[in-house]
Amino acid sequence: MKLYLYGIIDSSNQIKETIYGLEGAGVYNIPFCDIGAVVSEIGQPIQEATEGAVLEHQAVVEKLMADFTVLPVRFQTVIDGRDNLLSMMQSYYKDLKDNLERLHNKFEFGIKVIWPAGKVKENIVKAIKSNEQKMSESDASASKRFMKKKFDKYRMDKEFEAKADKFIKVMDIFFSKFTAEKRIEKLKTENLLLDAVYLVEKDKVSNFREAFEHIKSARPDFKYLFSGPWPAYNFVVLSKKSGLLREPEQADLFDKVTQSQTLVGAKII
Amino acid sequence: MITSGIVETDAAEEFIEEIEKSQDVLPKKIDANPKTVEKGLAKLVLTLIELIRKLLEKQAMRRVEAGSLSDEQIENVGETLMKLENKMEELKEIFGLKDEELNLNLGPLGDLM
Repeated sequence: MKLYLYGIIDSSNQIKETIYGLEGAGVYNIPFCDIGAVVSEIGQPIQEATEGAVLEHQAVVEKLMADFTVLPVRFQTVIDGRDNLLSMMQSYYKDLKDNLERLHNKFEFGIKVIWPAGKVKENIVKAIKSNEQKMSESDASASKRFMKKKFDKYRMDKEFEAKADKFIKVMDIFFSKFTAEKRIEKLKTENLLLDAVYLVEKDKVSNFREAFEHIKSARPDFKYLFSGPWPAYNFVVLSKKSGLLREPEQADLFDKVTQSQTLVGAKII
Repeated sequence: MITSGIVETDAAEEFIEEIEKSQDVLPKKIDANPKTVEKGLAKLVLTLIELIRKLLEKQAMRRVEAGSLSDEQIENVGETLMKLENKMEELKEIFGLKDEELNLNLGPLGDLM
């Protein structure tokens, strides 16, 4: 019997709520010591990551999140039988338990910020032009003109990054007050100033939300995307590689989930 | 307490576009089938050369910024970098490679350049 694994939870008790997972199968908990692996039975391994299947997987994980601390397992994880599952749980018990304790009562939130990169660059060019030039415009040789062009670009890029750092630092000061952990990525594209995930304790969620609203009102010329609460997809740390929990290469898939939710279920403000 | 995730934004389309842009720039794997192996290898080699060229260029710019190069040295460095850039352009054209293809995804470490 093949078992489709959704996540590891901090309980060995049966799930009270009736939850249906992939292929409409009932979801249940297989206990190991004081933790559990939430599964449903599956006929065939999933060949293709369709949007529907990803959303079904995600829906189960989110339902579990209401009552338990969840370590979400990567999409398409199928285990051949209960014995293999229990053997995996035994091997990784300490890691799983450590993560469940660390992530207890905490949610993940995502914040993305788009800034007007074109306008920022325009302002930098203006500032550079008004400042002292390192090389004279009158230098006519091709190699000096080449160097001048390169140097202007170098200054522009440097200043652009410095401005990005400055904005991110200010935002992060607000958010960090209410977060336990964070992962920040700067300028994934020229316009995407910030792509961050924060781990927030349950009782600080409203403070975190207020901090976000404060930032939004302080810089209304930027565009914002706020998402969550999610299970701690980006904060599970394993001391040995299991191949089960979400890894960086799976990020695309889960980002696509977020995008789909933006379109189908999001509250657009 | 809300436990199901919500996504709030006033610019959904723009975020989708930027996220796709950040993901679609690079192929996840090097295409190394028999028909394209030559191009695949050229891409790998040119990527490494491009990395070194960019490092040299950046170092030169830092020295210009610090004012530690004489006019003559700027002239010489400029000529060298210009020739190197032109040569790279020629090689890219020969192998049909674009600037954005000269990069490698280093997994959790991010992109090479």
